[in-house]
Amino acid sequence: MTAARLEGWYARALRLYPAAFRAAYEGPMRQAFRDALADGELRRGALLRLAVRDLAVSLWREHMAMAKETFGRPALVFNALVLAGMATVLAVALYAIPQQVLRMGADDPQIQMATDLAARLESGATPAVAVPIGSVDMARSLAPFLIVYDDQGRPLGSTAQLNGQTPTPPAGVFDNVRAHGEERVSWQPILGSTRGVRIAAVVERVSGAQPGFVLAGRSMREVEARIDHVQNLAGLTWLGMLGLIVVGTVAFGWVTRRQAIT
Amino acid sequence: MTSDVGSGSGPLTAAVFAILLALAGGDKHGYAVMKEARTPEGGGVPMGPGTLYGTLDRLTRDGMVEESGVSDDERRRYYRLTALGRKALAAELERMDAAVRAARGLGLLAGGRG
Repeated sequence: MTAARLEGWYARALRLYPAAFRAAYEGPMRQAFRDALADGELRRGALLRLAVRDLAVSLWREHMAMAKETFGRPALVFNALVLAGMATVLAVALYAIPQQVLRMGADDPQIQMATDLAARLESGATPAVAVPIGSVDMARSLAPFLIVYDDQGRPLGSTAQLNGQTPTPPAGVFDNVRAHGEERVSWQPILGSTRGVRIAAVVERVSGAQPGFVLAGRSMREVEARIDHVQNLAGLTWLGMLGLIVVGTVAFGWVTRRQAIT
Repeated sequence: MTSDVGSGSGPLTAAVFAILLALAGGDKHGYAVMKEARTPEGGGVPMGPGTLYGTLDRLTRDGMVEESGVSDDERRRYYRLTALGRKALAAELERMDAAVRAARGLGLLAGGRG
């Protein structure tokens, strides 16, 4: 291979360098290669091997340096981080606000049911009379249900069953209702080793001659499915926004990259 | 571009050392630096034009080297060592000298004990 052809090959390989680097050093690099060919101190085979190895190493290094300089500019990174932070806050809000609205909405109509039943019991009705006849399977039904407990938290009457039994909330719930009059909780009844579905429960204090508690509950299965859907949408929105920020940052970095080495 | 020439408190890279050493003898153009760097006295670092000019670019940014001129046809670019580059080279040579003295002391090099 003639020296001119080798130099032509080397000149074509130089096109692989970043534009700014090439603009600054293409001429001197070609001259250095030409000088090496003309000098003859290195045999052509050895020179070619050196040039190929040098191209492989320095191409990677210069492209990485250029990418670091282009996309690692503090202002660019700072802007991207600020945007990513805003996107994250927005996505959290996109999840948290509907989640709260859905969760609070899951307490309807239990609030009214618990208030009405507590009022009836306080006016002297017995649990057997006040609690409507019916049997809701807590594990499967979405229908609201009522349970009456005595002052020690023992069930006195119920329209719902879980595995054939009436479950009882943790004692802490009753303590809190004693202190505050009402408690709205997400309750997951556990009977033996069986974990029930999660229940949106409203517990109210019954005062009067026979104090106790009423619990109005409803399965949160559907509400939780909707919350999961909202979570997925918020997650996808977050990923989409992060993707746009990355694409925008890369595009802006590329457009405003240094065009020449000065 | 950010610097990766090893010009901080740590040792210099082989290419940087060889380039600074070559320029310590006076202004040189690219191929002259490459040629001298390849010799055992110049560091024994075979480097191609890509490594040479990439390293020179970073050394110029770091203020260790500066362009001293171009040939009439502007194809050869000459470089010279700055005071900062000379200081970095001296620090590296002192580090090497200490290592060599330690090696001699351990009898790993001729002229040492044993």
